[in-house]
Amino acid sequence: MSRYLITRALVSMLTFWVIISLVFFMVRAAPGGPFDGERRLPPEVEANLLAAYNLDQPLARQYLDYLAMLAAGDLGPSFKQKDFSVNELISAGLPVSLGVGLAALAIALTFGIGIGLFAGLSPGTRTDQLLMGAANLGLALPSIVLAPLAVLLFAVWLGWLPAGGVGSPAHFVLPPIALALPFVAAIARLTRGSVAETLLEPHIMTAHAKGLPQRRIVIRHLLPTALLPVLSFLGPAAAALLTGSVVIEQVFELPGIGRYFVQAALNRDYTLVMGVVVVYAAFILLFNLLVDLCYARLDPRIRIDG
Amino acid sequence: MQIRPPINLTILLAALIGAAAQAETLLLGNAGEPQTLDPHRYNLRLEETILTDLFLGLTAMDAEGNIGPGAAESWQVSEDGLTWTFSMRRDLLWSDGRPLNAHDFVYAFRRLLDPATAASLAYFMYPLKNAQAVNASALPPDALGVEAEDDHTLLLTLEEPYPHLPERLLYPTGFAVPGHVIEDKGDEWVKAQNWVSNGAYVLEEWRPQAHVALSANPHFHEPVAIQKARYLPLANEQNAYNRYRAGEAHAIGGFPANELEHVRETMPEQLRVSPLLSMIYLVFNTERPPFDDPRVREALALVVQPDVLTDKVQRTGNFAARSFVPGLVSDYDGPVPGHHDQPMPERVARARTLLESAGYDADNPLEVTLRYYDDGDGKRTNLAIASFWRQLGVTTRLHHTELKVHFSDLRQGDFEIAQAGWIGENNPGHYLDLLVTDAGNVNYGRYSNPEYDALLNEARKQADIGIRHQTMAEAEAVALAEHPVIPLYSIAVKRLVHPGLRGWHENHRDVHAIRYLAW
Amino acid sequence: MLSALQASLFGSTLARFCSVWIMLVLAGALFGTALSGWDPEAIDWDALEAGPNAAHWFGTDLIGRDLFARIMLGARVSLMAALIATSVSILIGIPFGAFAGLRGGRTDQIMMRMVDVLYAVPFILVVILLMVVFGRDPLLFFLALGAVYWLDIARIVRGQTLAIREQAYIQVARTMGAGRGHILFRHVVPNVAGPALVYATLTIPAVILAESFISFLGLGIQEPQTSWGVLIADGTRTMESAPWTLFFPALFLGLTVWSFNMLGDRLRDQYDRETRGYTRSIETMRAASE
Repeated sequence: MSRYLITRALVSMLTFWVIISLVFFMVRAAPGGPFDGERRLPPEVEANLLAAYNLDQPLARQYLDYLAMLAAGDLGPSFKQKDFSVNELISAGLPVSLGVGLAALAIALTFGIGIGLFAGLSPGTRTDQLLMGAANLGLALPSIVLAPLAVLLFAVWLGWLPAGGVGSPAHFVLPPIALALPFVAAIARLTRGSVAETLLEPHIMTAHAKGLPQRRIVIRHLLPTALLPVLSFLGPAAAALLTGSVVIEQVFELPGIGRYFVQAALNRDYTLVMGVVVVYAAFILLFNLLVDLCYARLDPRIRIDG
Repeated sequence: MQIRPPINLTILLAALIGAAAQAETLLLGNAGEPQTLDPHRYNLRLEETILTDLFLGLTAMDAEGNIGPGAAESWQVSEDGLTWTFSMRRDLLWSDGRPLNAHDFVYAFRRLLDPATAASLAYFMYPLKNAQAVNASALPPDALGVEAEDDHTLLLTLEEPYPHLPERLLYPTGFAVPGHVIEDKGDEWVKAQNWVSNGAYVLEEWRPQAHVALSANPHFHEPVAIQKARYLPLANEQNAYNRYRAGEAHAIGGFPANELEHVRETMPEQLRVSPLLSMIYLVFNTERPPFDDPRVREALALVVQPDVLTDKVQRTGNFAARSFVPGLVSDYDGPVPGHHDQPMPERVARARTLLESAGYDADNPLEVTLRYYDDGDGKRTNLAIASFWRQLGVTTRLHHTELKVHFSDLRQGDFEIAQAGWIGENNPGHYLDLLVTDAGNVNYGRYSNPEYDALLNEARKQADIGIRHQTMAEAEAVALAEHPVIPLYSIAVKRLVHPGLRGWHENHRDVHAIRYLAW
Repeated sequence: MLSALQASLFGSTLARFCSVWIMLVLAGALFGTALSGWDPEAIDWDALEAGPNAAHWFGTDLIGRDLFARIMLGARVSLMAALIATSVSILIGIPFGAFAGLRGGRTDQIMMRMVDVLYAVPFILVVILLMVVFGRDPLLFFLALGAVYWLDIARIVRGQTLAIREQAYIQVARTMGAGRGHILFRHVVPNVAGPALVYATLTIPAVILAESFISFLGLGIQEPQTSWGVLIADGTRTMESAPWTLFFPALFLGLTVWSFNMLGDRLRDQYDRETRGYTRSIETMRAASE
């Protein structure tokens, strides 16, 4: 298994390098440089600025310089946020994004598996249909609709929760819920299908025949098998959570790195874009590696084929 | 059909909370996240707002918006208008207790124009003698026309007379910076833990994307009422509006325009509308056919109705423009193009004739691309303009990009007709400079008229404001007759301010220093 | 197969509702703008931000444009996005997966590893970067979305191909000297049509949602074109003074996505009943792309 892991780790690192390089050149290919704004820049000032950020060097040279900095753990200065380095910006924003993301994941897993289990144990019944219909509804109402409505309802009209920003635990109630909703639905659907399937498996039938209590069957025999698809879903789910978090951070005005990404891309703040991509890529690749580890341990039948 | 919950209750609650917030932090909504707090490296108005609280320049605005003494008590200008002598206050201290004097300002101006600083707004101080040369590395920084005659007298020598210097010094580019910290910490001087400034407030904490926290400077020469304040980056108007109503911000600038009527009904005393010195206009790329043909430009200009735009389409209190220099500018009698008094049908007919003579009619319709950046009003304003032109059989394609790309492309001349905006100073030259031949790439349309340039050059040599402005008005008339731009409107700033906050006065530059505020 | 399809799409009341709704939306996308009598770009100066009434069935937006016409136009764009993206993903995914499945061994490993790796990339980053770098061309946008969703079908097809590879008629074809391409198109592809259809039904709502996200951030469809995502973004800005501007676009988006998902579920259940074995793979891979 360690061979498997090492291979995976190596592939991950290769992937990481490919992603970084791709994004590096893509961003610089974009029209508009980092120093365009409303006010004019006389040519000598523009020249000064470009020189200050090494943007007047040939592209290949900039690329190699960047890789060298990256290896040393330095993500460089931000072109737009002139008073901060990318490291500082990311360390300010990452805890917020991680907090919301992990909270959302926890909510999604708890409720998703719960609902899916309940529905899957009695497939085809009205309960099942109702729950799955509701789950589909959860998928159909995107966060771009629900989140602004939630802010209006809970923050402005009722005044129960803050409208945005950070500063207290109350600020972290709405965002994870809004983020988690579609995943609750997705996980519920997944779990339900898998549970319904597994119910028909021989070893479950045997356990029933043996007269074991329902609870025991579910927990010890059903769940471990039934949850495997959910586990393998976690990898892409992390990616999708990141996606969703960009919108959530925008609506709730959370100072997380998702907002940095959109802003930095629009502002051509090259180093900040790269910094966020580095963090996202690293996080996701790590997460996937972890999931693979769990998967391999839980189900020795599954090898590299997945 | 509107959903209206008991908002008044929320406002009442917010007011009560505000009353209890005397010792609490003042929360101000700002237009976005600042990119730097180094006054020499700033670029955006939203940074100006914060910097005005952190620093004190030679001149400063008082609570009502009048320009008056700041770090300098008084000043005089020589007969020829080229030498300005500033007498500094004697009781100035940096926030770390160190005395501040004229030498600090000399240091600051030199640093501003030093090419190594790469200050993007260095050109604000180009009126200073040799400033441009220094910034282009042609001369060393000490060749700059600034000198400290003694500890409390500062001499500024100019290239040409510039009667508006006190206003120009209001910008952060004219602020003093703590040389003793910069020499020690280098670029880290802007960090909160190293922060030293001379304004009413100092930087306590800057949490990116979350807030910039200020606290009162104990060494400032005047006491202030508000001890702690925070600027929140609220770029999204709907979010700002939500936060304000939830009591999480005490003042915001800009809220969704469609809420204006509701705000007028439910919280009129919190609404503050003030005109801003600004000009939003359409610019033609005069180097690209058919916009090099003045007939086409005139035709398109004739059918645009700025008052319909402001009163019917936007309904946000913006001020329709007739000439290029905003009507708000003091001591200036601008020319008004004749067509504004003619009835529309005549204008449309004349426009059609002009287009036909330029070769465009039903068989050969004119197709144009109108570029704009979305600032809330942009979309519907430009759709309306497109519908104005549709009367002439002109098809308009709208091209919308974000601000950066928009202005970058404009500077490269990559457009046909584009929306542009200029928020500026209280002098006509500031706007008329946009149409000068050698204005650089901020003359987006590359308009060039030697007669216009000559008139402006003549005007700039005048030290007397009356003659200066008169000549400028003549120049403006010359330019407007050729329609290189279509002036649209001046912005009316709409703000919501907590009813318990005192000292908030509207002014033409929309500057509200915290030190004049109190609960 | 046809009868199975029919059963899935019209078998129950709920299914009928969903199918009818989708057909209505399709009709609306094709003819809807003409139906309302209003051009989606025309400004009605007398009815700015008007509520639903006889002249404007869904009311008007902030600028005075008829909301019904705009929603129909948005339907066209959103459905086109879904169609193009799904087609692209099928066009890339089927050959990719089939090739991997047929080849097996090392090639298969590498190809599937690529898929695993690409799964890890959050699509929004890619699409945003593409949009920012190459401009806001809608076609490019749809293609970019398609390039994100081919992973699912590749996996499914590859799994399917592995399963049938060993079957007799493939062996026979091989011994008869049939080339790989021939086998691919004549034998494999028809067999994956089933799961492909199911997958497509479930990808369409995913793409519609994805497009609405990106347009909400301001990076997707631009004026005067519109999509449901843009309409929702505009609607959230005026939802207090003009709630209909949010209500109707959200209703359309929600109902359409929900209908596609419901039908897709039924189709999938139908195929599950007919052929067991790859249920899990579809379920897993499908849900994984949400």
